[in-house]
Amino acid sequence: MRLLYAVLHMLVAIPGGVALIGGAVVTALVQIWANKVRSLLTVLGIIIAVTSIITVVSLTQGFGDYVTNFLRGLGTNMMVCYPEWIRGPRGEFLRPAELSITDIQSVDTHADAVRRTSPVVFHNSTVEYGRRQLTGINLRGTNELFQPIRNYYVDLGRFYGPVDVENAAQVCVLGREVLRKLECDESLVGDYIHIDSQRFQVIGLLEAKGSFMGENQDQVICVPWTTALKMYPEQRDYLAFFVEAAAEDKIPRAEGQLVRILRQRHGLKPGQANDFGLFKQDQILQEFHKIRTIATSVLAGIVSISLLVGGIGIMNVMLVSVAERTREIGLRKSVGARRRDILMQFLTESVVLSTVGGAIGIVLGYGLAALASMHPSMTEVKVPGWSVALALGFSAGVGIFFGLMPALKAAIIHPIDALRHE
Amino acid sequence: MIATNDNAAQQVVIQLVDLHKIYRVGTELVHALRGVSLSIRKNEYVAIMGPSGSGKSTMLNILGCLDVPSDGAYLLAGQDVAKLSQSRLARVRGRQIGFVFQSFELLPRTTALKNVELPMTYTRARHRRRRALDGLSRVGLGDRIHHRPNQLSGGQKQRVAIARALAQQPDIILADEPTGNLDSVTGDEIMDIFDAVHADGQTIIIVTHEDHIAARCHRVIELKDGNVVRDEATGRAPDAARREASTAS
Repeated sequence: MRLLYAVLHMLVAIPGGVALIGGAVVTALVQIWANKVRSLLTVLGIIIAVTSIITVVSLTQGFGDYVTNFLRGLGTNMMVCYPEWIRGPRGEFLRPAELSITDIQSVDTHADAVRRTSPVVFHNSTVEYGRRQLTGINLRGTNELFQPIRNYYVDLGRFYGPVDVENAAQVCVLGREVLRKLECDESLVGDYIHIDSQRFQVIGLLEAKGSFMGENQDQVICVPWTTALKMYPEQRDYLAFFVEAAAEDKIPRAEGQLVRILRQRHGLKPGQANDFGLFKQDQILQEFHKIRTIATSVLAGIVSISLLVGGIGIMNVMLVSVAERTREIGLRKSVGARRRDILMQFLTESVVLSTVGGAIGIVLGYGLAALASMHPSMTEVKVPGWSVALALGFSAGVGIFFGLMPALKAAIIHPIDALRHE
Repeated sequence: MIATNDNAAQQVVIQLVDLHKIYRVGTELVHALRGVSLSIRKNEYVAIMGPSGSGKSTMLNILGCLDVPSDGAYLLAGQDVAKLSQSRLARVRGRQIGFVFQSFELLPRTTALKNVELPMTYTRARHRRRRALDGLSRVGLGDRIHHRPNQLSGGQKQRVAIARALAQQPDIILADEPTGNLDSVTGDEIMDIFDAVHADGQTIIIVTHEDHIAARCHRVIELKDGNVVRDEATGRAPDAARREASTAS
């Protein structure tokens, strides 16, 4: 305590107006300290409000960043085009749609807003190495452009090249999780594994990407799409392709060109629905941001009610404090305090009170969020600077707003009445 | 009435001209002061006496710029305080007047030193700490500067209050029953301090109802029903002051 006093008093030594405010802050802190329990109970409302702001914001922000990063990690300019079954007037499936390799090539050739394309064959495969057997591994059959399109690179060995794709070579690139599950180290590169009983040479390892929503992204195997189609001919009906726009702002243009080319090639009449679908991750990102904004503002509304309640608590206690210290106010006025000095003193006190409450709330909120993030399925916590500033700003604002009335009441007390007050 | 003495030591600090104060208590008008005129010169040592209801508290409030007269003029160091704004009045209270109260009115939980510094924080005076230390050693409390009021005796508290009043070298010290809450021995000690402060050239006005306190001052002004009924020099007054006082009344 003595040290605290000493430090605070040193701060007051800073000359000028700072000193005056500093002095008011010290007076306020002394007053708050003198009524510890009362002060704590008073700011409980503010503490709870700010704790919930920080907890909720940090969790939604952490989650939002997580989703954003995942989607960015897919490659910001990437879209996936996939066949969609044609439906009849009553929604029944008429016939399977199909995207052919010539569709893909013609998009690649004729759409100038498209930079790269790659066919993609999806399959869940079984992988064997020695006595280890893994099932349900995501197999992707792509061409050599997979790396730049998906922004997902090999960091050991090499990726397959155009010649491998041309020849439908039995080569594969493994994600780190597959390596781990096979209980192998990086020396597996160059060795052979079996994918659905076919012998493949491991020529490279993909960089680790981590997991998303509990699903490990590194549990993946890439092979040339030609090889994949040879192994799983029935997947031809589901052949999809990656499309990379030339730039982020060219995504709408690329989309338009792609739709036009495919509709033309499939002979679709106006009014007929597309027989293919597009997965655009920026669209998802926007939707996600929208939902996040709505969620945040709804929460902000709820929180502001608790701040209001906290503010009323502060006003109540400040009124009590003013009444209790009427004589002190009289004395201060008799030794030269102007109305505005008294006003500032009590306003400072309520602002300090609410800001201290806000600071406690920030610490508690951060602690709670950190605690919550320890749960394995939780995302990393992030407390953005703006939320801390907002929380502190709001609590200080509450202090000013709800402290104003009591402070004004104190300021206009007549010194004679105040000195006679019992 | 107005002193025309060219001696600087004799200059008029307080001049009251036909001062009236009327209060409204409910529907009733109370005429607390009914035309008081007097002047007090620099380095005078004045006791204001009178029974309760005589108007002495009202006069003290007006002298201390805590209240303004209803009619008449109060010139403090040549300045008419009736014309001052609230904040100018606060400034006058801070710089030109030092208050000493019956119940000391020290800030609780605040050291003697900080209590003495308080008026200076409002006037933004420089060298607050040094001046506060000087003030405390003048009243003999140089060794108790870090004590809080609850660690001080009544006499010590009143000394802190006197040091606080002196800190800004005010034009006048206004003491309202300064010994009222003290035993007679401690009261005498406090009066010794007032004597010493007066000897240093300070103007002191003490409101009291105790004759032996008034007797230690150099001039006694007695009020009754809002009028001055007595204004005379005491036996302790130097000859010049006694002459002045007798000619004034």
